[in-house]
Amino acid sequence: MDLLANLVIGMKVALSFQNLLYAFVGCMVGTLIGVLPGIGPVATIAMLLPITFHLPPVSALIMLAGIYYGAQYGGSTTSILVNLPGEASSVVTCIDGYQMARNGRAGAALSISALGSFFAGTVGTIIIVLFAQPLTEMAQKFGPADYCSLMALGLVAAIVLASGSVLKAIAMVFLGLLIGLVGTDVNTGAQRFTFDIPELSDGIDFAPVAMGLFGIAEIVVNLERKMSRSGAIKVSSLWPTREETRRAWPAVLRGTTIGSILGVLPGGGPTLGAFSAYTLEKKISRNPGQFGKGAVEGVAAPESANNAAAQTSFIPMLTLGIPSNAVMALMVGAMIIQGIQPGPEVMTKKPDLFWGMIASMWIGNLMLVVINLPMIGMWVKLLTVPYRFLAPAILLFCSIGAYSLQNSTFHVVQVAMFGVLGYVFVRLGCEGAPFLLGLVLGPQMEEYFRRAMLLSRGDPSVFIQRPISLGLLIATAVLLILMALPSLRKAREEAFQEEEA
Amino acid sequence: MNRLLSKDFLSGVLFIAFGLAALWFGRNLAPGTAVRMGPGYVPHMLSYIMLFLGLIIAIVALYTGGERVETPQWRPITLVTIGIVVFALLFETTGMFPALVALVLIASFGGDEFKLTEVIANIVVLTILCIIVFKVGLGMNIAVINGVW
Repeated sequence: MDLLANLVIGMKVALSFQNLLYAFVGCMVGTLIGVLPGIGPVATIAMLLPITFHLPPVSALIMLAGIYYGAQYGGSTTSILVNLPGEASSVVTCIDGYQMARNGRAGAALSISALGSFFAGTVGTIIIVLFAQPLTEMAQKFGPADYCSLMALGLVAAIVLASGSVLKAIAMVFLGLLIGLVGTDVNTGAQRFTFDIPELSDGIDFAPVAMGLFGIAEIVVNLERKMSRSGAIKVSSLWPTREETRRAWPAVLRGTTIGSILGVLPGGGPTLGAFSAYTLEKKISRNPGQFGKGAVEGVAAPESANNAAAQTSFIPMLTLGIPSNAVMALMVGAMIIQGIQPGPEVMTKKPDLFWGMIASMWIGNLMLVVINLPMIGMWVKLLTVPYRFLAPAILLFCSIGAYSLQNSTFHVVQVAMFGVLGYVFVRLGCEGAPFLLGLVLGPQMEEYFRRAMLLSRGDPSVFIQRPISLGLLIATAVLLILMALPSLRKAREEAFQEEEA
Repeated sequence: MNRLLSKDFLSGVLFIAFGLAALWFGRNLAPGTAVRMGPGYVPHMLSYIMLFLGLIIAIVALYTGGERVETPQWRPITLVTIGIVVFALLFETTGMFPALVALVLIASFGGDEFKLTEVIANIVVLTILCIIVFKVGLGMNIAVINGVW
């Protein structure tokens, strides 16, 4: 069995002392930022990227991945105990989770969400193992035109998931592509938009951009809102009753299924998974009136879904090199920093990295159950730290992180500039995620575009003559048309309204 | 006037501005031909798309109106930005500690509550944390106070 042999390689890598340690660090940091509202995985991973220079590639990726799925676990704690979503993906958990807590079932809600997440994480990891090989084989047949179309599909899918106007999201993608052009042109060596600043000739680093857009802008908005904290609810017994378990299991299964599917889709991710799972539970429930009053299903399904989606969203990144959301874009960046070009070759050329990372995800999920359940008291204590302590600390870590990227204060100033831009985006209702994806994919996309056009002697029809490219472009077009349809547009708007409410 | 201050109209203006700026600053980049693209081909293409999308967004917003943009509060964004820039200026010239103090002080002014004792406590904790994590833990080559340590 090829698969088993690969898993053995992976386990060996993941179980080494150093990698276990970094998986643990990642999970701890992830849980921490998950619990704390006001800082998300995107800003954290951007902040820690420079540190990963000093680590071997496998350990770096294991740690960053741990932050991402750790945040899914941590986010639920805040949702359930203080009715504040620690992460965007646990917004829906607030609805029934907090009500359960008020009914004295806080412990049960926490353990159901942690165990549901663990189950979902396990299934998600198995799905990655099963899908990785066939997808990678498919990807090896891709030519430049196909890659270009695939990226177009990924970018359009990112638009579907942005809240607010579709047109604005499309414009944000193009703005990201445009900003991504800054630097030296690979083919001719010409300087583009560098304004004679030597630091810019290497292009704009996405880490300061991500810190600015998702870290600084977020802090400023929170400072304006004057975040206040209500007291956390005390946790009694962690054990769910038999009745609760009976109702939770099917919901966990359904949530895992939805989350896994939505995670794989380009543009998919934990937030969408959680929302869809909650909506489904409400629809199929025999007594939908219970939802909003502490229904167990309303905690179990979305919490499983967001974790399943967090796992499966690694699939397009690991096999095709195409990031499906902002966090994955940063993971691509982390690989490039380490000198690894993400794509189908990673699996064949660096099997220890590939399988080690996957194996570590399961181990990380196991660690997270332990970190979250018995140590719940510690995380609750953390929630009492006021935001006015937190905000300067996050700013400081962003600044030092940006500096250590290349030991240059220029990057720190860049963080400040993109913080201002990010703040403008927030005020104008423009989403940052499509922008970041455009920025990361831009240079590669131009490269593939130019190569494809060169091979076809300037004939753009190459994009519709190759079957793979044609198929991807048709999928892209269908997505765009679907978004323009009035009925779907309404459904999409409703989904996002629920998110904002 | 309300329509000129809607989120959508202003976004459209922002995109148009980026498109125009890219066209202007990229005017010397040779576009080349579709077969042998010069450094300017893709930038020009993207600039025109940017302009086109910005125009549509702005025009649609003029007809439909939409949500008015919230009046920004200047204090947090200004102080946070100044804090980071001052940090950048001080970091290499004076070392990490003065830069840290400046950043935390300025940023704390950006919040709604400012208690000196709390801010000092915060500075102490963060300084110790930074020394342990960056200087000792990661072995980064940064001076805590230039010339001293």
